[in-house]
Amino acid sequence: MRDPRPDKQSFKPGWAARLLSGVQVAEKWLAGAAFVVLVLVVFADVLSREFTGAGLYWVSQVAVWANVIVVMAGFGLASAEGAHLRPRFADLWLPARWGPALATLQHLCMALFNGAFGLLAARVVAGSWRLGEVSIDLFVPIWPVQIFLPLAFLTAALRHAIYAFVPELRPADSSALAPIEAGLGK
Amino acid sequence: MTGLTLLLLVVLLLLLRQSLFVILGCVTAFAYIFYAGESLDGIILDAWSALNKDILLAIPLYILAGNIMARGGIAARLIRFMRALTAPVPGGLGIAAILSCAVFAAVTGSGTVTLVAVGAVMYPALMEAGYSKRFALGSLCAAGTLGVIIPPSIPLILYGVMTRTNITDLFLAGLGPGLLLTSLMVAYALWVCRDVERDEWSPAELRAAFQAGVWALLMPALILGGIYSGVFTPTESAAVAVVYALFVELLIYRELGLADIGDVMVGTSRLLGSLFPVLMLAFSLNMFLTYQQVPDQMVAWLGERITAPVAMLVGTNVFLILIGCLMDIGSAILILAPMLAPLAADQGIGALHFGIIMVVNLEIGYLTPPLGLNLIVAMSVFREEFWTICRSVLPFVGLMLAGLLIISFYPPLSTALVN
Repeated sequence: MRDPRPDKQSFKPGWAARLLSGVQVAEKWLAGAAFVVLVLVVFADVLSREFTGAGLYWVSQVAVWANVIVVMAGFGLASAEGAHLRPRFADLWLPARWGPALATLQHLCMALFNGAFGLLAARVVAGSWRLGEVSIDLFVPIWPVQIFLPLAFLTAALRHAIYAFVPELRPADSSALAPIEAGLGK
Repeated sequence: MTGLTLLLLVVLLLLLRQSLFVILGCVTAFAYIFYAGESLDGIILDAWSALNKDILLAIPLYILAGNIMARGGIAARLIRFMRALTAPVPGGLGIAAILSCAVFAAVTGSGTVTLVAVGAVMYPALMEAGYSKRFALGSLCAAGTLGVIIPPSIPLILYGVMTRTNITDLFLAGLGPGLLLTSLMVAYALWVCRDVERDEWSPAELRAAFQAGVWALLMPALILGGIYSGVFTPTESAAVAVVYALFVELLIYRELGLADIGDVMVGTSRLLGSLFPVLMLAFSLNMFLTYQQVPDQMVAWLGERITAPVAMLVGTNVFLILIGCLMDIGSAILILAPMLAPLAADQGIGALHFGIIMVVNLEIGYLTPPLGLNLIVAMSVFREEFWTICRSVLPFVGLMLAGLLIISFYPPLSTALVN
């Protein structure tokens, strides 16, 4: 009789795969849109100064906030593709046969860290909201941008928790290539 | 006892294969709790304050511009021009490879991307023209690192941010050492490849290559000329570089489409998402150390033991080369620059000069096993054995060490243009 349980090797909970895929698509669009804003406003500032003799006072703050969104969306994308910078020299200190268990612990630890930092960041943002902190350039509240910090950390916590318990959904570790592609050789 | 616990925590996190930002975050949290007894909210506030700086905007923009150019047709046109220019010189193709890397690095913002973009074209060409495999691999791997020091340079921006040094001045300071290292490599190519058959000199090909590549060749003038003439700040220059790269690739060369640009933006965001969290937490840790006056105490302690700048320079160089073997350049600068720069300043080594020394040391780390990034990249791009590549870069590592000595002990090479 055939075992009714799903094959362990190919088991991928559909809801988790769909959730991660949906989050990743959202992060890509968010990062792309914020990048367009970042480039356009800084270039607009250059044009304005060259042609009218005066820069745009709001550009610096808008560009910085666009960069915050690029970075925090990129943080999720890096988690999704195993691209976070990671020191690798200790990888061979433990026996290779411990690899699967270590990978689970690795993702659990990442989930715990991101969860803890997400909650800390949420507390800081709540404080900023309560105090009514505003940008000194634009006089608008800063919490709607700050909130991308806890959002990114908590999403990463969820992502790594799923990776810890569903190995089939884990990305390949491309951390060695991240600085290469990041152009840190320059 | 607390120090030992902190060390054990770091070792445990390394064994658990944690990302650098997790390790830095845990170390910072540990320091907040056990050394100061303060609320951990300070970590997030400092991290936010690190991210909320307009000086950092140059980093995403330069990386984006570099990735657009690496994906498009600028590299091929630069190489064609350099080949035509150096055709009559002994070792001309080898020199063209080195100069192509230097110029491409000056516009893309990426040393390793330079190795991939130029190497993919030049390695087969060098082999076909009769150059030894050892020279071809070594020259491309080593010249690929020139992007680390030739401005505009992301490591120099990171150093500037972490030590509050003027970035335009750092870019100026990087020019002399960048030219020195390029010249040393070109001189070596001239000597080693003096017997290789030369290409025929063709003014017509040179003219055609110039016409085809003029848009690409204008790029360094636009980026660096804009900064040094005071027309643009580094951040503005980076935005202009992105728009110019888009203009050239989309409308002139037409080798990229909007979908490609979207992919490049997403890829660049992912890479920024791996770099900036490290930067934020390194900044947060650095702020904590500063509040606790740790750098001051280190300076005082070391000041009693090191009485000569020469000892400081030699010690720092050895230390940084070892660090370069184990860490990537960005992480090393973010963590070490705020601690080492005050020590160097105490010995009379200026922040500019020290920044250049630090970056050149870590640049050499790109060519040293076990974690030399260019060695790893070359292994996958050129399909060669790791140790074959390691042996091929040895003469170039020697040249770069000689250059490092000159840079370290002759400060005007870095500071003359700034002064």
